[in-house]
Amino acid sequence: MKNNKFISYLFILPAFLLVVLLLIAPMFQNIYYSFFKWDGISEPIFSGLRNYTALFSDSNFITSFRNTIVWVIFTIIFTVMGGLIIAVFLRGLKFENIFKSVFYIPITISFVATGIIWNYMYSREIGVANTLLSLIGVDKISWLVNVPLNTFALLIAWTWQQLGTNMVLFLMGLTAIPIEQTEAAMIEGSTKWQTFIHITFPMLRPVTTVVITMAMANSFKVFDLIYVMTRGGPYRSSETLAVTMFRETFTMFNMGYGAAISIVLSIVVIGVSAFYIKSTLKKDLLYY
Amino acid sequence: MEVKIRKTFTYIIIIILVLVWLLPMFAIVITAFKSPEEFASQKFYELPKKISFISNIKIAVEHWKLYEHFVNSLIYAVSGGVIAIIASSMAGFSLIRLKPRFNLPIFLIIFSGTLFPFQMYLIPLYRLFNNIGLYDTKLGMILIYSALCVPFSLFVYRGFYTTIPKEIEDAARIDGCGPLKLYTRIFLPQSVAPTAVVALFQMTWIWNDLLFGMVLTRTGAARPVMVSLAAMSGVSGGIIPYIMAGVIFTSIPTILLFILLRRYFISGMVLSVAGE
Repeated sequence: MKNNKFISYLFILPAFLLVVLLLIAPMFQNIYYSFFKWDGISEPIFSGLRNYTALFSDSNFITSFRNTIVWVIFTIIFTVMGGLIIAVFLRGLKFENIFKSVFYIPITISFVATGIIWNYMYSREIGVANTLLSLIGVDKISWLVNVPLNTFALLIAWTWQQLGTNMVLFLMGLTAIPIEQTEAAMIEGSTKWQTFIHITFPMLRPVTTVVITMAMANSFKVFDLIYVMTRGGPYRSSETLAVTMFRETFTMFNMGYGAAISIVLSIVVIGVSAFYIKSTLKKDLLYY
Repeated sequence: MEVKIRKTFTYIIIIILVLVWLLPMFAIVITAFKSPEEFASQKFYELPKKISFISNIKIAVEHWKLYEHFVNSLIYAVSGGVIAIIASSMAGFSLIRLKPRFNLPIFLIIFSGTLFPFQMYLIPLYRLFNNIGLYDTKLGMILIYSALCVPFSLFVYRGFYTTIPKEIEDAARIDGCGPLKLYTRIFLPQSVAPTAVVALFQMTWIWNDLLFGMVLTRTGAARPVMVSLAAMSGVSGGIIPYIMAGVIFTSIPTILLFILLRRYFISGMVLSVAGE
């Protein structure tokens, strides 16, 4: 029996070591670094909370924080609400499956590829968007240069990639709603819209919570797409927290400052998903 | 009558949206088929007179060394995925069925790896890898990718193993199966579904990673494919038909994986949502 106990830990060891050595320990080290002024080469100098207080007067950080909030809000509007609306309208259409697959083909494509594709879409001289707009006589637009148009242009590329996932989840939720429920309401004379508001939407709530939480967490963390399309520019106008962290750390070598930004980002991300994680874990642990 | 109008209206809206979604895909494909000269002299929607797809891919692959990085990423996705699958299925099996003391805290510690944004790890890893000689090596990349895949994979396997009936295990134990045999003969062979989910999501994730590739590698010996793809479309613009050919070339593995395992996509989505 004693032998068995030893074996049971042995089974866990590889996974445990990988995670503790390469993720958990670095995470604590990162917190430690955030209290230092450090360029990555010379000795780190202890600076207390100065990295954190500096954030408040750093206009780049404030822009970046504001952009991050814009990303989160519009991710919910474009990808979550958009995904829900499309899912509702798609249901029961002829060719539903064909339409559905069109929306989720982009899921299989990486953010880097998505960014490159949309760079071409938005290119000023030869881009697809401007070529099509020129057919109806619209002048060339600098999609990725003008502020705040550039952030919205990025959000459209993001929506193109992300909407399909949400749509699939909503469709799944919709299929789970018994058709009798909505039919009964219709017979009693409520319109389609009323049925949706009073029956369908409340019944979708579990799915909606999941989709919103996931969309928020993803949009707080967005990096690849912005990095590929604008590098956060021009003049750092389209940076979000993840991009700012990368730039401060690996381009400007303000390692301690970068660490502080990553901690702010973590606090925000975990704050947003904490409620949800708690309920998942509770359910999960009760189960077993 | 009103119903009919509404229905037509729905179709029109959906078809417009579908066309918007298809436009970028159409643009990449048609552009990847044109020679740079033809691309420069045409509007994007005009059909190419001569198909230059193969030569475009050849140039993209040779000139930007996509081939080398393609192989690197293939190694990372396969070995990172396999290591994560083995490590986490073993751990999941033990946590649920051998139930050692502290199995819950151990699970929570490993699971906490899914909570933090990756930015939390970058600086210390960069320093650690530089100090112990893992910077810019394949081994280093395999290790970090496996580590990043373990928390989610463990969540999937652990959940799945609770659904395997206890009777099967008891029967096997009576026949004299020890833990190792139990794992290799009973649990592992039944793990097709969780393994497919983990393979689909984690291998795709590794393949698509840009961040760790940029921070932890420098030369072609270890650079993953997405970093070199991102470099292709550098600030100077580059030649678009080559770039689009590169996009298609580097997207093939994930598209194939997706087609192959697509029936696990929904269940994986649900799990990955729960694992966020």
